[in-house]
Amino acid sequence: MTARRVVIAGGGVIGCSVAWYAARRGLEVTLVDRPQRGKATTASAGGLWARGEAVGLGCGVILYKKALAERGAAAVPPPQPLPRAFLDFALASNALFPELARELLAEAAIDIEFARTSLLFLLYDAGDVAYAETVCRPGSYGGDAVERLSPEDVARAEPAISSAIRGALRVRGDDQVNPYKLAQGLEAAARARGARFLSGVDVTGVHVENGRVRAVGTDAGEIPCDVLVNAAGAWAPEVARLAGVDHLPVRPVRGQIVCTEHLPPLLSACVSTTECYLLQKRHGEILIGSTTEEVGFDPGVTPQAMRTLAAGAVRAVPSLAHAGVKRVWSGFRPGTPDELPILGPVEGLAGYLNACGHFRTGIVTSPLTGLVIAELAAGGTPSVDVGPFLLARFRR
Amino acid sequence: MTPRVPLVVVGGGPAGMAAAAEAAGAGLPALLLDESPLPGGQIYRLPPEGFAPPVVDVATARGHRLRADTLRGDRLRAELAASGAEVRGATSVLGVWPDRTILWATGDASGTLHAERIVLATGARERAVPFPGWTLPGVMTAGAVQSFVGGMGVRPGSAALVAGTGPLLLVVALQLHEAGVRVKAVLEAGRPPLSPRLWLGLWSARDHLRAALAHGRTLRRAGIPIHLGHTIFAARGRGEVEAAEWGPVDPRDWRPRRDRRNFAEVDLVVAAFGLVPNTELAELAGCAHEHDPACGTRVPVRDSAMRTTVPGLFAAGDGAGIGGALSAEDEGRIAGIRAAQHAGALATAEADRRCAGPLARRAALAPLRAFLGEWSRPRPGLCELADDDTQVCRCEEVTLAEVRAALAAGARDLGEIKLRTRLGMGACQGRNCAAAAAEIVGRVRRCAPADAGAIHPRPPARTVSLGALAGMEHQP
Repeated sequence: MTARRVVIAGGGVIGCSVAWYAARRGLEVTLVDRPQRGKATTASAGGLWARGEAVGLGCGVILYKKALAERGAAAVPPPQPLPRAFLDFALASNALFPELARELLAEAAIDIEFARTSLLFLLYDAGDVAYAETVCRPGSYGGDAVERLSPEDVARAEPAISSAIRGALRVRGDDQVNPYKLAQGLEAAARARGARFLSGVDVTGVHVENGRVRAVGTDAGEIPCDVLVNAAGAWAPEVARLAGVDHLPVRPVRGQIVCTEHLPPLLSACVSTTECYLLQKRHGEILIGSTTEEVGFDPGVTPQAMRTLAAGAVRAVPSLAHAGVKRVWSGFRPGTPDELPILGPVEGLAGYLNACGHFRTGIVTSPLTGLVIAELAAGGTPSVDVGPFLLARFRR
Repeated sequence: MTPRVPLVVVGGGPAGMAAAAEAAGAGLPALLLDESPLPGGQIYRLPPEGFAPPVVDVATARGHRLRADTLRGDRLRAELAASGAEVRGATSVLGVWPDRTILWATGDASGTLHAERIVLATGARERAVPFPGWTLPGVMTAGAVQSFVGGMGVRPGSAALVAGTGPLLLVVALQLHEAGVRVKAVLEAGRPPLSPRLWLGLWSARDHLRAALAHGRTLRRAGIPIHLGHTIFAARGRGEVEAAEWGPVDPRDWRPRRDRRNFAEVDLVVAAFGLVPNTELAELAGCAHEHDPACGTRVPVRDSAMRTTVPGLFAAGDGAGIGGALSAEDEGRIAGIRAAQHAGALATAEADRRCAGPLARRAALAPLRAFLGEWSRPRPGLCELADDDTQVCRCEEVTLAEVRAALAAGARDLGEIKLRTRLGMGACQGRNCAAAAAEIVGRVRRCAPADAGAIHPRPPARTVSLGALAGMEHQP
């Protein structure tokens, strides 16, 4: 049997993951990617917060707090957890990381810097404590993975963290990785299994015949294929439109990150607060994120974000006041109306698969996305039901 | 509410001082921000407080250029003070936005202000050329030697090789010689250009040429050989420089001819391969840039009024293209006058009249600039000085072998090399390594270094503490 020919549009972590899982299944993979400022994978901090993100930690609580401050409690609904289907998907994907890290080291000699850190949510005030209680409630998403820490517990575990807290939640299993090493590892492993990567190449058209994708036009020539995977992140609507899919509701949502100079080990856990989150990476830098901004494709950074993120970091870890800032950057999360990814086929167009709209959680959901999309591309049954993530959900 | 300022001048070297003085003198309130406590820039820097008078007594030194520099710096400082421009020293500019918002920091404070007009006079830094041993203690740039000798009265070594290209080589060699350092040789990689057009143009700059020839004669009298078409190959030593290898380069592309290398026992190697404009702020502000072959990097596009492509934003001096201190001062004057005209403080005819002198002097210097630009234009063979173990990026200790491996693994440009190797991710954010790395990428991928991609600057243009950012005043 001839291998099915798959073209992947987009070389971020999602595209690379699809490439790896597809190449591993023996599919004939070509990935096309163009240079672009603000690619989310390289801008990301690399938190693997399956549970945390599902209940609104990370950027969710920052955005909520900001909305509260601007519009008042009456106008802002309390944060809602994402649907159960997302939590299950994210947990299953997160569970793939230890094995993936081993595979990529063996296949591509690339260390994705997967680290078991856990995620600490710092409780500054009564609102944070009340919020934490909803997470710990029996039957909630937190489950056994969440543990309440007293201020003394936090002081023992993380001496650098401020003592002016009411305690913390520890979410076990919410860890971190180096996002661009992950993408590189997936790419290198996929290449080693024969995948072709065309970087600096733009998708210019999609050749559809009798309701089926036949080829993808690029500025480097036409590539015949059986399946086109749209993994173009915040730019996915452009690719979709070329394939005749007109209403892919993905939009750029800018996030800014502040990066410190190399610091001695200061944080063992990832830290989430209502003002910022902090992760210390392998090389000693601490990444401080992030904003949630609807500014289109403006790749800039702003003094306001630098101030609020810096202030949030210094409040959480006072000794950081003396740490130098090396760089501030931004990236475009591929946002969707319900904050869930858009995966799988669309009605009426054979040979086209969405793998986009991963919003804040593209890094943690990349392995399972890659696996499931590769299964669908191969014509098989996906190991996880993509029903809740189909584009069709927006038409209901 | 962000304060509004009619004119902000970024940088207090010759261009910045002249711009602020001209604008304020024309009645446009000007605020000059500079990193150093006192204005002067790299060339007219005052010694830090508490340092002994220089070893070289500038009043009696045979190197008249030193004395002339000091006088020019003092005169510009006096003009600036008399103009009424406000000077804020010890203040870094971390970012400039296209709407002319400026983010500044001083000590543990920071803040924003909105400038109706900006003159960027950010100066230049020295080009880093990686060669084996270039990170050893005892290898210095020309600027470092000048701060030690001229600024602080400290002798940086006892026996030296001075290598690189351009007129600064002779100046530094002379300074070292007069400070009592044994200069074993001056190695000028370039040779005089062959073009008669370039030579004919020099007539208008004959005074400068005469000064350079005088430097050369002084060095020869002191028994210091000047080798044209030669350069440093490697610095050797355990923990610090103990010896150096040097030799001839291919005249076309300056590739080292290692088969004809020499050795010298030295404890100081001066590497002075010219200057690179500090364009980070102009890039952050969104100014269009173009490749400048004379310095081998990008420079902001400007017109004869020093206007960039961003309205209200001017760029002057070496930060916008290397022309030296005299040219920088005149460009600063033009920018300051045109900014005043832009604000309505000067009528067009009066602004034209005031610009006439600086424009004429700048035009007179242009042939010299073209001559030196062709002489010292960095040639691609220099990137062959590095061997596999040579660090290309010293902040992150990335070696040439690692860069080559990243290219072999599929990296196509500087951005991808950065993600794979961490080159440019350190404290300098690529300011020092990007030019050399672009040469290497160009070499391997057979493209022009200008097409090798870029490490995009991002704020902060200078390292700032989180505490200073956390206390930011006046955000828009």
